[in-house]
Amino acid sequence: MNKAWRVIKAVCGFVYTYFALLVVAGVFLWSAWKIASFRATQSPPGEIVIRLGHWQLEGGVRDGINEMAARYREQHPNVRIIQDAIPESTYGQWVSTQLMGGTAPDLLQVGGQLAGNIWLSYYNRYFEPLTRHVYAPNPYNQGTELEGVPLRQTYKDGMKTAYVAEMQEYMSVPLTLFGTRIFYNKTLLKKLTGLDEAPLDYREFLKVCDQIEQCTNDAGKPYIAIAGSAYHFAQWDPMMFSPVTYGCMRRADFNRDGFVGNDEMYIAFKTGMLDFTYPPLDRWLTMIREVTDHFQTGYTGLGRDEAVFLFAQQRAVFMTTGTWDAGSLVEQAKGQFEIGVMDFPLPAADDPVYGGVVEGRVYESPGVGFQFGVTRTSKHPEVALDFLLFLASQKGNEELNRCIGWIPSIKGAKIPELLQAFEPHLEGVYGNINFALGGNTSVSWGQQLDLYKVGQATKEQFADKFTKYYLANGLKDFLEQQKDWRRGIQRNDQYLAGIRGRAILADERAAAAEARGDADGAAAARREAESAWVRYRAITASRQIWGELNHARQLRTINATNQPNGGIGPYEYSPAILEKVKARLQDEMDGKPAPDDSSADELLEAVRSFTASAAAAQAAIARELEAAKSAPPADDPAGPAAEP
Amino acid sequence: MGDGWKAGVAMLCVAAALLAMCGCGGGEKGEAQQSVAELVQEGWTKYRLNEFHDAIRAFEAARAATEEGSAEWAMATYGLGITWDLQRPGEDPKKATALFNEVLEKAPEADVVPWVKLALVRQKHLVPVGQEPDYPEVVRGFEEIMREYPGHLAAKEAFLYVEGIRLSDLTAPSSRVAESNLLEFIAHEDKEFVAPAWSLLTVAYVNLDEQAERLHAEEESFKHTETDPNDPSVEYAWAFWNLATIAEFDVGDFAKARKYYQALIDTYPNDLRVHGCKAALDRMDRIEAKLRAELADAAAAQAKAEQLAAGAAAGKAAAVPADGDGGDDLAVLPEAGEAAVAGQEVAQ
Repeated sequence: MNKAWRVIKAVCGFVYTYFALLVVAGVFLWSAWKIASFRATQSPPGEIVIRLGHWQLEGGVRDGINEMAARYREQHPNVRIIQDAIPESTYGQWVSTQLMGGTAPDLLQVGGQLAGNIWLSYYNRYFEPLTRHVYAPNPYNQGTELEGVPLRQTYKDGMKTAYVAEMQEYMSVPLTLFGTRIFYNKTLLKKLTGLDEAPLDYREFLKVCDQIEQCTNDAGKPYIAIAGSAYHFAQWDPMMFSPVTYGCMRRADFNRDGFVGNDEMYIAFKTGMLDFTYPPLDRWLTMIREVTDHFQTGYTGLGRDEAVFLFAQQRAVFMTTGTWDAGSLVEQAKGQFEIGVMDFPLPAADDPVYGGVVEGRVYESPGVGFQFGVTRTSKHPEVALDFLLFLASQKGNEELNRCIGWIPSIKGAKIPELLQAFEPHLEGVYGNINFALGGNTSVSWGQQLDLYKVGQATKEQFADKFTKYYLANGLKDFLEQQKDWRRGIQRNDQYLAGIRGRAILADERAAAAEARGDADGAAAARREAESAWVRYRAITASRQIWGELNHARQLRTINATNQPNGGIGPYEYSPAILEKVKARLQDEMDGKPAPDDSSADELLEAVRSFTASAAAAQAAIARELEAAKSAPPADDPAGPAAEP
Repeated sequence: MGDGWKAGVAMLCVAAALLAMCGCGGGEKGEAQQSVAELVQEGWTKYRLNEFHDAIRAFEAARAATEEGSAEWAMATYGLGITWDLQRPGEDPKKATALFNEVLEKAPEADVVPWVKLALVRQKHLVPVGQEPDYPEVVRGFEEIMREYPGHLAAKEAFLYVEGIRLSDLTAPSSRVAESNLLEFIAHEDKEFVAPAWSLLTVAYVNLDEQAERLHAEEESFKHTETDPNDPSVEYAWAFWNLATIAEFDVGDFAKARKYYQALIDTYPNDLRVHGCKAALDRMDRIEAKLRAELADAAAAQAKAEQLAAGAAAGKAAAVPADGDGGDDLAVLPEAGEAAVAGQEVAQ
């Protein structure tokens, strides 16, 4: 009895003494067991589990991925796809801890929620390069018009967004094309205006907005024509307002690269080539007020959700947003009202205010997103990639985006009916307005423009106040920003040294292989060295040798006091050039032979030739890959495809 | 309490020992087992992955495992110097300089020496934020590499830096010197860095306001472009645009301008400059039509004037007309200012 009592006492004493440690140990063991048992249920023996992490919590995305995972499983019964959907706000931290801890999912959505340079270092350390695969055909495109076409060429944007220039590698597989348009409540529009469709003509659109604002709802509150916020203004501006400023390049694109840089805008203002009375800038300001006056009061202080709420509550008729919100909006409207999607209204060519300024619709680059990379810690990287190829096939991509309500990124994949208005404009104009010279100027710009937007300053007051500040402080801001112009060159040097090291080692290997009579080894090493040296020279040429020159030219531009080129705009003819053209035309009329322009033909031929060489090199890579695939029986890790 | 503290420490020690054992067991292949070549290779791989700490460890191991002054030792030391010089954060340029100098001192015949010298000059060239390089000293360093290793890629790179620095004063005399040097380089080189040499020549011709030569240099630079076939972002839309606008506005060669604008439209139909190209083609058609009309009017007026003059000469013998109405119809070629205005109108 005493012995038992002593044991109990000892145990109690032990528990009392080490209570905290025991609790910690107990919790640890419990959580370890829970995780292990949870993982075991998710990956029964013999199954391959592919985990996929992303930040798209919009309606339909998770269902779409689940749907595609189920279809993939029909073909590969031993593969299970599990998704980790992480909120945008924490995705950056989550992805960092997962990657650094070596516990990252097999597939991760990449390219957002973290700074570009951080993604670059993550690509370097934690992701598999996919370059070789983009030159091979997507096997899931068999039987379609894209059969045999290299993966890269099956993309609407040529897979540009998947390429990481700093690494010279493709690092991801994008799955969706994003775009921005105006969504509208068709039911409410019909009720308030009698119209079945929203007008695409600018003046008609404004009239409809006026008409909507004259109406009140059952509670006696007036309807709002456009649900807006600071977030939404940032979408209206590049899509509808800024393109009006396209013409500024004719006065201020001094280096003729097709864009007005912040230094060019400053010097154009400083020398009187431009001011806010210049028609494109004046009309831009006019349009901002004409449209945003139909936003709800105080929109500049509101966020995205407030505007969406107004739209979903049927208090506003129009709202601009992107394809990413389409599924959610349709879901919210279900059973209540019908949603329509329209392009941004455009003034007519003979519009009394905008006629001479608006040259066309905004140009939209067919950039794709929702892209996934394969992590190096993946136990089955080939299966993970195979699933991505399944999603990037014409049929798979169409189906995935149909489920989600987004636009496919693959050529020939059908766009859901609602989103057909999102088909990008591949020809058009773009904004040429750039007043961001540095910290103080940007702050002043934001403050003055906000006052103008909400009607607390007239166009003239805005122009006067901002111009004075801009001219007085712009140069100082710009020079401050330029102080560290060498930093980028140092980063490039760091990157180039890596390529150079690789090239030197490949040269050494080639020499060693030659010395021991290994011709194949020497040839392979020579190819690697040549490829690395070409990259090295190309990047050195494009980024490094221009350092001083670009800086000197930029400083000369910004410090200029006279109008560049004697006041003749960069896209305007000088008298001398007109005389020259006239002389040539005179010769032509006199029957003299036309001047020799064969060098242009030679150049075009040379370009065709090296473009063809690049295509041949890509085809060779694809062939190598195919040969490797058809080489002796390797186990198909994804398991045999099920019979249809 | 005292026992509890001891037990806690003991548990931590056991846990640390277990972790250490796991770490050792799961570690990579021991450095001692790797050859020097493998270690150098690993050093560069880690460097490219921005894992500088591991790169330093690998390069140091390679240096320790090979004979001082050998080619492999020189390569490992160079890699170590580059890492200390260019890693961010944690750079130590002084340590890097010492390592580079060590290579020059102990392995002066190694293949990597030209790159080591280039690295030493680049250290002087890429000074920290807020400082200005000693350009005469930098140029002397580059020129020394050019003299000592003619034909080596490091010397060609040094040459481009020198000419870039020379041209950056944007004056005519420097540009003339650069023009001469660059043309000589191009005459003796058929591949490496030819395109950027032509490209630098375009800057010289801009500074010298020799636009036809500039257009030729731009064409040659484009023609000699070296491209990486992997890179989808390599496209020539901008190059076509650049050539076309120079031909149109600086040279007045509309035939070439049309070819380059059209090449952009045909090759890159989805490029954002397509709208600008179509507008340019239209603009040139309109200005030519306008100038042709002016020339035709001028020719007609000239003919009429000649006719009148002939008539007047004949009339002297016969009769003088009551009113000479030809003068008012004479087309006047636009004065310089008017021509510029005409151009602006067309441009807009």
